Amino acid sequence: MANVSVAAEWQLLYNRYYRKPELYPMRWKHVDLARNKIAAAPFGGPLAVIRDDSKIVQLHGESALRKLRLFSSSGHLLADTVWRNPGGRLIGMSWTDDHTLVCVVQDGTVYRYDVHARLIEPNLSLGKECFESNVADCAFWGNGVVCITESNQLFCIADFKNPNAVKLADPGIVEPPRCMAVIEPQYTVSGNVEVLLGVGDGGEEEDAAVIAVEEDGVQRLGGEMLRGPLQKMVVSRDGKWLASFTHDGRLLVTTSDLTGVIIERECESALPPEQLAWCGMDAVLLYWDDMLLMMGPDGEPVTYLYDEPIILIPECDGVRILSNASMEFLQRVPDSTVSIFTIGSTSPAALLYDALDHFDRRSAKADENLRLIRSSLPEAVEACVDAAGHEFDVSRQRTLLRAASYGQAFCSNFHRDRIQEMCKILRVLNAVRSFEIGIPLSIQQYKLLTPSVLIDRLINAHQHLLALRISEYLGMNQEVVIMHWACAKITASLAIPDATLLEILLDKLKVCKGISYAAVAAHADKNGRRKLAALLVEHEPRSSKQVPLLLSIGEEDTALMKATECGDTDLVYLVLFHIWQKRQPLEFFGTIQARQLARDLFITYARCYKHEFLKDFFLSTGQLQDVAFLLWKESWELEKNPMASKGSPLHGPRIKLIEKAQNLFAETKEHTFESKAAEEHAKLLRLQHELEVTTKQAIFVDSSISDTIRTCIVLGNHRAALKVKTEFKVSEKRWYWLKVFALATIKDWAALEKFSKEKKPPIGYRPFVEACIEADEKGEAIKYIPKLADPREKAESYARIGMAKEAADAAAQSKDGELLGRLKLTFAQNAAASSIFDTLRDRLSFQGAS
Amino acid sequence: MAQIPNLDNAPVNLTSIREQSQKELINILKNVRGKKCLVIDPKLGDSLSLTIQTSILKEQGVELRHLSAEPIQSDCNKVIFLVRSQLNLMRFICSNVHDDISKGLQREYHVYFVPRRTVACEKVLEDEKLHHMITIGEYPLYMVAMDEDVLSFELDLSYKECQVDGDASSLWHIAKAIHKLEFSFGVIPHVRAKGKASVRIADILNRMEAEEPINSSDMAVPEINTVILLDREVDMVTPLCSQLTYEGLIDEFLHINNGSVEIDASVLGLQQEGKKTKVPLNSSDKLFKEIRDLNFEVVVQILRQKATSMKQDYTDMTTTTQSVSELKDFVKKLNSLPEMTRHINLAQHLSTFTSKPSFLGQLDMEHTIIESQSYDICFEYIEELIHKQEPLTTVLRLLVLFSITNAGLPKKHFDYFRRELLHSYGFEHIATLNNLEKAGLFKKQESKSNWLTIKRTLQLVVEDTDTANPNDIAYVFSGYAPLSIRLIQHAIRSGWRPVEEVLKLLPGPHLETRRGGFSNSPSFDTFYGVSNSIDKVPDGRRSLVLVVFVGGVTFAEISALRFLSAQENMAYDLIIATTKIVNGQTLVETFMEKLG
Repeated sequence: MANVSVAAEWQLLYNRYYRKPELYPMRWKHVDLARNKIAAAPFGGPLAVIRDDSKIVQLHGESALRKLRLFSSSGHLLADTVWRNPGGRLIGMSWTDDHTLVCVVQDGTVYRYDVHARLIEPNLSLGKECFESNVADCAFWGNGVVCITESNQLFCIADFKNPNAVKLADPGIVEPPRCMAVIEPQYTVSGNVEVLLGVGDGGEEEDAAVIAVEEDGVQRLGGEMLRGPLQKMVVSRDGKWLASFTHDGRLLVTTSDLTGVIIERECESALPPEQLAWCGMDAVLLYWDDMLLMMGPDGEPVTYLYDEPIILIPECDGVRILSNASMEFLQRVPDSTVSIFTIGSTSPAALLYDALDHFDRRSAKADENLRLIRSSLPEAVEACVDAAGHEFDVSRQRTLLRAASYGQAFCSNFHRDRIQEMCKILRVLNAVRSFEIGIPLSIQQYKLLTPSVLIDRLINAHQHLLALRISEYLGMNQEVVIMHWACAKITASLAIPDATLLEILLDKLKVCKGISYAAVAAHADKNGRRKLAALLVEHEPRSSKQVPLLLSIGEEDTALMKATECGDTDLVYLVLFHIWQKRQPLEFFGTIQARQLARDLFITYARCYKHEFLKDFFLSTGQLQDVAFLLWKESWELEKNPMASKGSPLHGPRIKLIEKAQNLFAETKEHTFESKAAEEHAKLLRLQHELEVTTKQAIFVDSSISDTIRTCIVLGNHRAALKVKTEFKVSEKRWYWLKVFALATIKDWAALEKFSKEKKPPIGYRPFVEACIEADEKGEAIKYIPKLADPREKAESYARIGMAKEAADAAAQSKDGELLGRLKLTFAQNAAASSIFDTLRDRLSFQGAS
Repeated sequence: MAQIPNLDNAPVNLTSIREQSQKELINILKNVRGKKCLVIDPKLGDSLSLTIQTSILKEQGVELRHLSAEPIQSDCNKVIFLVRSQLNLMRFICSNVHDDISKGLQREYHVYFVPRRTVACEKVLEDEKLHHMITIGEYPLYMVAMDEDVLSFELDLSYKECQVDGDASSLWHIAKAIHKLEFSFGVIPHVRAKGKASVRIADILNRMEAEEPINSSDMAVPEINTVILLDREVDMVTPLCSQLTYEGLIDEFLHINNGSVEIDASVLGLQQEGKKTKVPLNSSDKLFKEIRDLNFEVVVQILRQKATSMKQDYTDMTTTTQSVSELKDFVKKLNSLPEMTRHINLAQHLSTFTSKPSFLGQLDMEHTIIESQSYDICFEYIEELIHKQEPLTTVLRLLVLFSITNAGLPKKHFDYFRRELLHSYGFEHIATLNNLEKAGLFKKQESKSNWLTIKRTLQLVVEDTDTANPNDIAYVFSGYAPLSIRLIQHAIRSGWRPVEEVLKLLPGPHLETRRGGFSNSPSFDTFYGVSNSIDKVPDGRRSLVLVVFVGGVTFAEISALRFLSAQENMAYDLIIATTKIVNGQTLVETFMEKLG
């Protein structure tokens, strides 16, 4: 039976099965792991290979220069470069989470490479102290590294994205530690990295300990419990457990704070293993020269024999085993797979799988199997789907999914999307597992990594097409992919002329609506292709992105034009300030003078905060009247400032300013009026200053001509009032209104009457009547009402002082029915008056009718 | 603080927009932990009072202050400045921070710009070397719901900035606000615009749609069918006339500020002498909703009727025996008693103004100017106002009206008026005159006026207006049909085409376009046809027209639009958006600039 062959490949460790399928035969040639240092990235990431300079190796007709070679997990050469870096021996090499290869050399310099083997500038350094006493060893985690120097000091870069070297606390040891391990910052209490050092020499048990070093403290752990120094340590993925190998050949699994021993197993060898690794969370691998030992919590260890060197690459759900010839994946067999394929399994899933086999062979036993498991069909289907997910072998994936689908047909309450979802995941996984791509992700790793990170890794490796297809298939935003492609394309296409490249780019960019052309253009600019940048930015629909970029590539005039067009004044200001800063004032003035909106905005801003500069602008553009307005405005501010108005007010700076404004207005014909007004203003100020001196009252300055006249009259200074009148050619009409109201204000009724008799008032007696009524002086008003010429006015004036009869008479005289009606309303409360109006109106309408 | 208007009856879901604004503000406050001092620029405070209750702000541990040149007094060491992005306000922020520095106070500063941060404002902070001390953020409040059918962008200076300073920032703001509405209610398929600014806004709106497309597939049918944009410049006559509707008159005499009016408590018959009290004026007040848009003459009659019938009911109640249900009805009526007393008091207060001879004279003069018959009488009337030194705004209001209807004044008169104004009110008003001239509101005559043609063609003066049972919008000004609303009436009914000739006589270009994915839908074709075959939104509501006034709208115009919307043959609900609710006085005031 087919099932048997599957389970036959498994090994039993204690009560769990393990399997070790081959992922790839390695494609590389002439790579001997024994001669090289290897760095392998988890999650099926790339491999870095470089000749180990700490070993003496024989060169087989190859260059003495070392080469750093980067391979995919399938052994496909991605890139290589010659290693010429100074700084001594390469101590450690590892991949960060974003697939940067970091290489630490003896003097503490850290070289970084991308997946295309390009050196990333600048190089980092672990600091002066490291430089002085060599780096002896280092340990990496996700995005950080810890180094120990030959003088046993520890240095750490906690995050390569923000690379600052920090010295950790002095562990206070003389001898170099026997082994070192780190607990990642995310799993420590302090949130900083914790370094574990295994110290003590073989003989003295009491010296043996693990020293935990942090940035601000050292702790001695373990002690007696260890019974001697540790030779090798490795921390589990979740930072909770520590697996270690003691000097006397025991494998110890303890909590990572070394407070309790979980497992203690004797090994046959006292020689420490070359490699020690966790396999998932429930087994530890020990590798000696040609033997790989897997130890579980109990039971016999499993032994694998290798006749060539191997490298253990821990993953979250197992360990990848790299040898010269192949890449294998050692993992615990998932429960679903066990339930289906264990020899003699009668689990529902196994029966379902079997049923499909019968069905395919047209055997009636298929139905029998189904009947047997009817009640547990959903879980059987689920197990098949799950097992399919864990398979690397495509044909087995297919068989399992078919079994699931077959079972689902008989099962009404199964969540149907599950199979479809799994198919989707598997298609993605199979695509990235292919030889060419070489990312052997397990389903668990894929889920942990997330699709978007996978896509980032693909585009980072320049697998844009696959990344695009996957993101399309999974319904994710393709913008990231296309954007990266476009930028990579620009970088790689130095030889392609701008126009051709533009076309190639546009063709792809249009796939993605809303993509930022400006960002691509910015990249083109960074690559020294300013022309291409200008062409690209033209296609950017968002002005808010387009304009800043145009500025950065020096296209200020286009930027100004675009900003103006789009109507966003904020962008216009952005360009404005940019040009303002960059250009000489005169050139700047010239630029904005030609663009109305920019000019107006500049003026608005300058009015608030750059007054003097604004004057320069108006002068340079010949807008003298605007300068004049500014000066005139300043004249008032001068008045408010007591320091500035020192000296004789008659020739004070204020009047000078106004006169300056007057002259500037006079320069242009259109502003004769303003010029005249400024002249009058200066004259008025002089006159007011004089008045303040003679009257010793500071009440004149900054009042209007009319108010000055009124004030004079109120003060009884009629001569001065007359002087102002003649000086400013105040019309008789205005004069009469002013004087009448002024006299009424001081209730000088005699003077008012005298004034009315001076001559016949040019505008009649209405001012007199109004002034009296407003002052509520009926008696005075009556003197003037009869003199009013218009009977309507007369009527209303009478009405206003409540004389109904007289009002009615006057109204009747005017023969205005509407007026009568209105007046009647005014007297609505007064019945007697009301009736007068009615009679009069009747008479009027009668007259009108006749 | 004013009562927040109830928006439940709004033709579109304005509540959600307001809630969004509330949430955004609360989030800003939450992001600054602990006790904090919120310093608001006073004008913004007005718009906020229509958006969120002060009590909610207080719940966030906020101490409220108004921004001014004076240093703020507060113990909080966290200060949030919430300001409109206006250049002159930066000075106040700077002086406040500098003041703290000089006193050795260490505070945490946040500046939130409304509706967005701008380069120019940040430049000021940078130049003052304060930029590094301040955390800058945005509060995207682009509009405020004044009532269930009125939105305001709260850009009170928009008209002046565009016309005088050439600063078109507000146009972008308006476009953005409309675009935001579109994100909630779908791309508005039809656009009609008249005036330079309006056409520009339509253009910016299209650009925004291209830059930040609205996913129209999310929405079945756009809720707003048409947007009509109109520049205030097109019709400056209407806002300068005295409004004669109830709400309009309250605004003219008592100044409605953000949906409420502040009056002496004694006016309302309350006992607190000299104390001011705020009366909210919006559609939540049922009686007000009924009478706000009516001509004041009619309002007085209606209030009298209501009072009489109430009195009658009361007498019936005391004299005859009543059934329980009748009693219930009576009590229900009694509930509306406070509203009635309030409006009767208000109306009475108003009539003390309306009966003044000066007001009647002014009304008379406005009509004479609109009739454009007796130039000399108008000239002399205004001259006399100046000589009597009547309030400058009153004078300018008539003068601008006079100038506009005559397409400017002959040079001799123009200079004469300017001289008389400077003599009477002071030379500092030269800046005001200069502003008015730049805006074309008070200027030298250069061409013949076409006001008479416009007036005749659009039938702006309607004889024998029955204010009680109006059949035309002219009732709002007792005989003058506001030009702006007449244009909108045409735009809604049949588009610009039939009135193109007259549009050409008015300032600025006009435009009529369709946008979005709906341009080919059959609804567009029917739009031009008979107006009763209009597509209906599925739930039977009428579809919507958004009318945007660029540069302000008066209450009387809003009333006229509501009147149009209530007509039987009207196929649309109207919603009004404006840069600010204005009246002749406030509009003229925006142009006033004293040099002193």
